[in-house]
Amino acid sequence: MAKKTYDLLFKLLLIGDSGVGKTCILFRFSDNHFTTTFISTIGIDFKIKTVELRGKKIKLQIWDTAGQERFHTITTSYYRGAMGIMLVYDITNEKTFDDIVKWLRNIDEHANEDVEKMILGNKCDMEEKRVVSKERGEAIAREHGIRFMETSAKSNINIERAFSELAEAILDKTAGREADADAARIAVERRPSRAPPARACCS
Amino acid sequence: MDKPAEMSQKDYVEDGQNKLIIKCKFCGSKILDKKSAKYIMQEKELPFMQQDTRKGGEVQIETINQFYHVENMYTFENIGFTHTVANHKYLSCADCYAGPLGYYEIDTKHSYVALTRVEHC
Repeated sequence: MAKKTYDLLFKLLLIGDSGVGKTCILFRFSDNHFTTTFISTIGIDFKIKTVELRGKKIKLQIWDTAGQERFHTITTSYYRGAMGIMLVYDITNEKTFDDIVKWLRNIDEHANEDVEKMILGNKCDMEEKRVVSKERGEAIAREHGIRFMETSAKSNINIERAFSELAEAILDKTAGREADADAARIAVERRPSRAPPARACCS
Repeated sequence: MDKPAEMSQKDYVEDGQNKLIIKCKFCGSKILDKKSAKYIMQEKELPFMQQDTRKGGEVQIETINQFYHVENMYTFENIGFTHTVANHKYLSCADCYAGPLGYYEIDTKHSYVALTRVEHC
């Protein structure tokens, strides 16, 4: 097998109501002229992004909800293995902000207890249509002890920074757990396929 | 769109691997580090990056025969994966959506990047 070219792997999720701009956050320039009808018709499942933090090469695997959020039932399987969650609302849409509380409850129910969260108030380039003040965003984040940032996927404000900060917060938690731990986890997941020998010892 | 010409191996391939860094043709996002993927020849049909919408729903395809073979998806520096279509996911640029740049096989978990659809730097 080829040598490992990275130190850590973090699975991140984007969560929030439909239309808050999750897909635009996932793809920096998604509404420019490079957008091809073929790819946008099928839709993106996830992407891999490489960042370097404190001298470590980190692979971020970032997932979009694929429209599951419309039914307000993000399934447990979507949350499985997630180490970080970007919880997104739209500063021009009150309901998407009110729903943050629902999403936080959903995360508490389904995600790993120590998942790192960050709230993003997206579309901050649309100041004239703003209905949710930055202070309210900060307040709800403080109340739940979560990081907060206002972003604009369209104007590329704070997007890179948001992912770096989330990754850094996870890095703080995982300090000490290196790529080996990741390899060990994969080995554990594969164990069921070795079931026959285990049965043999019981017969 | 013209049928892409076959690319000269000696300019891009060294020791059976990509000699140069692979980037997105449109936005320059880095896709693969140099010498991280195997060069292979295989015939495979891939939808065009630009589809002519006047042809109503029908996906226009071309045959591509030069690929970089990536066994582990985490070898990619930056890459996007579409939802699954008939046992494949298509690869797109992680930053600007351009694609398909290649495809990912669900069964083998291997990825294939078309040489003609990326920039060599």
